[in-house]
Amino acid sequence: MDFSGVISNHYGAFLAGAGMTVTVSVVSIAAGMFLGLWLSFGLISRNRPIRLPSAAYRSFWRGTPILVQLLIIFYLLPEIGLDVPPVAAAMIALTMNTAAFQAEIFRGGLLSIRPGQVEAARMLGIGMPAIRVRILIPQMMRLVLPALVNETISILKNSSLISVIAVTELMRTSQQVVSVTYRPLEAYTVAALIYLAMNLVLARAGAWFERRYAAAR
Amino acid sequence: MEHKPVVLVEGLHKRFGAAHVLRGIDLAVESSRVVCVIGPSGSGKSTLLRCMAFLDRYDEGRVFIEGRLLGYREVDGRRVPDSDRNIDSVRSVIGMVFQHYNLWPHKTALGNVTEALRVVKRLSRREAEAIGMETLAKVGMEEKANAYPARLSGGQQQRNAIARALAMRPHVMYFDEPTSALDPELVGEVLEVMQELAGEGMTMVVVTHEMGFAAHVADEVVFMDEGEVIERGSPDDVFKRPRSERLREFLDTWRARTI
Amino acid sequence: MSFDIDIMFRYGPLLLSGLWTTVHVCALASLLAVAAGLGVSVLYGLPMRPVKLLCRAYIEVMRGTPILTLLFILYYGGPSFGLTLDAELVGIIGLGLYGGGYFAEIFRAGFESIPAGQLEAARMLGIPRRLVVARIQIPQMLTLIIPPSTNQVIILVKESALLSIITVAELTKNTTQMVNETFAVVEPYVAVALLYWLLIEGIALTGGALERRFGYAS
Repeated sequence: MDFSGVISNHYGAFLAGAGMTVTVSVVSIAAGMFLGLWLSFGLISRNRPIRLPSAAYRSFWRGTPILVQLLIIFYLLPEIGLDVPPVAAAMIALTMNTAAFQAEIFRGGLLSIRPGQVEAARMLGIGMPAIRVRILIPQMMRLVLPALVNETISILKNSSLISVIAVTELMRTSQQVVSVTYRPLEAYTVAALIYLAMNLVLARAGAWFERRYAAAR
Repeated sequence: MEHKPVVLVEGLHKRFGAAHVLRGIDLAVESSRVVCVIGPSGSGKSTLLRCMAFLDRYDEGRVFIEGRLLGYREVDGRRVPDSDRNIDSVRSVIGMVFQHYNLWPHKTALGNVTEALRVVKRLSRREAEAIGMETLAKVGMEEKANAYPARLSGGQQQRNAIARALAMRPHVMYFDEPTSALDPELVGEVLEVMQELAGEGMTMVVVTHEMGFAAHVADEVVFMDEGEVIERGSPDDVFKRPRSERLREFLDTWRARTI
Repeated sequence: MSFDIDIMFRYGPLLLSGLWTTVHVCALASLLAVAAGLGVSVLYGLPMRPVKLLCRAYIEVMRGTPILTLLFILYYGGPSFGLTLDAELVGIIGLGLYGGGYFAEIFRAGFESIPAGQLEAARMLGIPRRLVVARIQIPQMLTLIIPPSTNQVIILVKESALLSIITVAELTKNTTQMVNETFAVVEPYVAVALLYWLLIEGIALTGGALERRFGYAS
C-alpha cells in the first residue's frame, strides 16, 4: 500500500475536488431550502389545487433514486432545448431533490407549532405573509435544525453521484487519481476519509445546536 | 345619530358537522360595559366568543363590530365571505386573550407586545418599544420585558398576553377563559389586571368559570347551556335569583365544588 | 419530444430483468443490513469499552461516507488485498454493510426506549426474563422500529441504483443500456422512474401494514 505517494502527489487535486463537493452541496442545500419552504406551505395548504401538486412533487423526488433524477435532468434538459453545463445540471438535480426532503422536514416543524399562535397573530391584524416570516419560520427552524443537519450530510454524500456526469468533485477526482496511479484502494480510501471528516464536523455542529436549543426550551 | 353597541350579535347559529353548537344567540355589548358569559363545559360559550371574533365562521345570523358586519359581505341580499383585508379591518378594534395565552415562544415579553405594533401599525422600533414598556408596566410586567415566555409563570404569561392585546388600543377586549389554564394561586393576579381594566371603562366580553369575578365586575351575566342563552341579567339577578332549573343546578354544582 | 410505445415493448423484458435484479439484490442486502445492525446494536449494549468504540467507529464510517465510495473501495480496491468479488456480490455486501450502520442506530434507539421501570415492574410480578423480552420489550420496540426500518429499506432500494456504476445489471444499468441502444431518452427514464416509484410505494404500503399489524396505538 502506498498512501503517502497518493497523498503527497495529489493532495492539491483532492482539495480542489473536496472544494467542488462543498460548493455544490452548499448551493443545493441553500436553494433547496428556499424551494422547500414554499413547498412545505403548499403541503399544508387547505387549497387542493396547491396541495395536490405539492404532494406529487414530493412523491416523485422522494420516491425515485437520486442517480435516476440526475440522469433525467442531465439528459432531458437538452431535449427541451436547455443546454446546461454538467455542474449546473448537478446543482439543479440536487436542489430539486433536497427541496422535497426539506419540505417534509419543515412540514413536520410547522405542524408542531400550536395553531393558537396563528390565531393570536390574526386577531392582532398581522397578515399571513408576516405570520409565516416572523412567527412560523423562526420557530420552525429551531425545531428542525437537527433534521436539517442530517439532510445536509445526506446531500454531501449524494453529491458523490454527480461524478457520473463528469463534474470533478471529490469522487471524480479520486477516479482520476486512480487512472494515473493505479492505486484504487488508497485513492478511494483517501476520498472516504475526507467525506467522513466533513460529515463528522457537520454532525458535531448538529449535536451542538440540539443541545443549545434543548437548553433554551 | 343612530345608537350602535360596540358588539352586536343577532340570531347566531354555528354547526360543527352534525353538532349544532350555537342555536340562535343574540347579544349586545354597550360601550364600557363588562359582559360575562358563564355556563357548563360544552355549552358553546367559547365557540360564541370565537365566532364573535370570526376565528370560527358562523353559519347563520350576524355579528356587527361598531356597526360593521364581521366576516361576510352582503351582495344583492346574498352573503359572501369577506376578504381577509376587510375582516382584519373590522377586527382591528377587538383585542383577544386566549385560554392558553398563545404567546410566541421565540420572542421576549416585550417582543410579543411590539410585534403587531411594528408589523401592523408600522411603528418604528423606538415608538413600539415605548408603547410596549408602558403597556407591560400597566400589567406589572415591566421587569420581565426581556424574558422569554418559557421563563415566565402562567400568570405572567397571561398578563403578557393581555398587554399584547392592549397595546393595539382595542375598543373591546375578549377574554376566552383567561384563567382556566392557570394554577389556582396564579388566578388572582390575572383577575386583578382585568378588574382594573374594567374600572377604567374598557368594554369587555369575558367567557369564564370565575363566578366571583363575574359577580363583582360584570354589568351583565349571560348563562348559556347547550348552545342557547338560558338566562341573562345583572349579577344579582343571575346569582341570587336564578329563575331556571338549569341555572340553579349549574350554580349548585359550582358551589359544591368551591367549598 | 414524443412517446414511442413500441420500444417500450421491445425493451420491456430488459427493464423487468433489471427490476428483478434490483429486488433480489436489495432483499439480500436488507437481510444483511438488519443482521449487521442487530449484531452491532447488541454488542454496543455490552459493558466493554473497546467493543463499544469499535461499534461506534463502524456506525460513524458507514453513516459518514458515501455509499459510492464504499462500493469503489470494495470493488476496485478489493483486489489489492486479495478480495476479488463479482460486482453483484460487492453490491450486496456494500449495501448491506452500509445499511447496517443505520439499522444499528434504529435498534439501539429501540432498546433504549423502554424504561427500566417497566422491566422492574415485570420482575416484581415474577414474569420470567424470556417472556419479558418476548411480550414486553419486543412488541414495544416494533412500534418504534418499524417506521424507520421501512424508511431504511426504501433508502437502500434507491441507493441500489448506484450499483449500475459498478456494472451490476440492475434496473438503472439496464435503463442506460436502453438509452445507449435506442438514443431515446424520455421513454426509458419515464419507465425507470415509474418502476422505482412503484417498488418504493409497495415497500411503504407493506411497512404501513406491518405497523398496523404489530404496532399499538400510543
